[in-house]
Amino acid sequence: MNEAQSRYFEDVCEGMELAPLTKTVTTTQMFLYSAITRNPHRIHYDEKFAHSEGLPTVLVQGPLQGAQLSAYVSDWMGAGGFLKKFTYSNRGMALAGQSLTLRGKVVKKYELEGRPAVDLEVWEENATGDLLVPATATVFLPSRSTN
Amino acid sequence: MALDRSRIGYCLPAFTVTVEPAALAAFAEAIGDPDPACREIAPPTFMKVLEGQDNSSRRIMEALGADLKRILHAEQQFEYVAPIRAGMKVSVARCVADIYDRREGQLEFALIETTFADEEAGVLGRSRQLVLVRNPPRSDEA
Repeated sequence: MNEAQSRYFEDVCEGMELAPLTKTVTTTQMFLYSAITRNPHRIHYDEKFAHSEGLPTVLVQGPLQGAQLSAYVSDWMGAGGFLKKFTYSNRGMALAGQSLTLRGKVVKKYELEGRPAVDLEVWEENATGDLLVPATATVFLPSRSTN
Repeated sequence: MALDRSRIGYCLPAFTVTVEPAALAAFAEAIGDPDPACREIAPPTFMKVLEGQDNSSRRIMEALGADLKRILHAEQQFEYVAPIRAGMKVSVARCVADIYDRREGQLEFALIETTFADEEAGVLGRSRQLVLVRNPPRSDEA
């Protein structure tokens, strides 16, 4: 969804799936992310170090995967939504250059603090379908009845 | 076990970070988000940038006695109260909320809680980060 558009509470139902989004994280992107977050861990940029840790290549930063999932939620809810809570776990390793797919669904539609809200389950998986990053999000959505 | 349990409750002195538009743009580029809205209002996980300033993550891990080569990011929760905007001067307060272990100490976890606040807007949000330290098996210890 274009960020300038809004997704309304009335247009969402429980069980609704988010359109999958496939991404590949490049080593350039990983370098930029380590720099902006001041993360000096060599496992994210030093291929020789990654090999010494038994990995075929450098490891994608867990928070970068979380950031991509939160952006996926933000894009789904549109400009009128407000992300209230976002939680993710890094369960499996993602390697630079791997194809990663983001998926999600609406699990609950309700009222929270007097506002229309939905809970989402979103996750990142690799090309073979292994779950790498499960996440949950609570978002406030605008309602047509209050606009 | 490697982490210093006496550090539960330890807090770094709060520090202030100005939300620079250039940092918002650099973060958007790094996460592959071309959305121009992110240049004025921080993307949700920009809190990760704020809490990492002042070398704070490294300083907390060093205070806990963690071997930086053995740490991994296990879990993170963000709670949002109000949008973080370009130009805000955000006060960042970080504390060690808990330390515990699993698998007979081979896996240790440190829970770091961070509060983000603006002088005028008040609390902007909170984060809870779970750091995993992979310790060598006990048989490796002298």
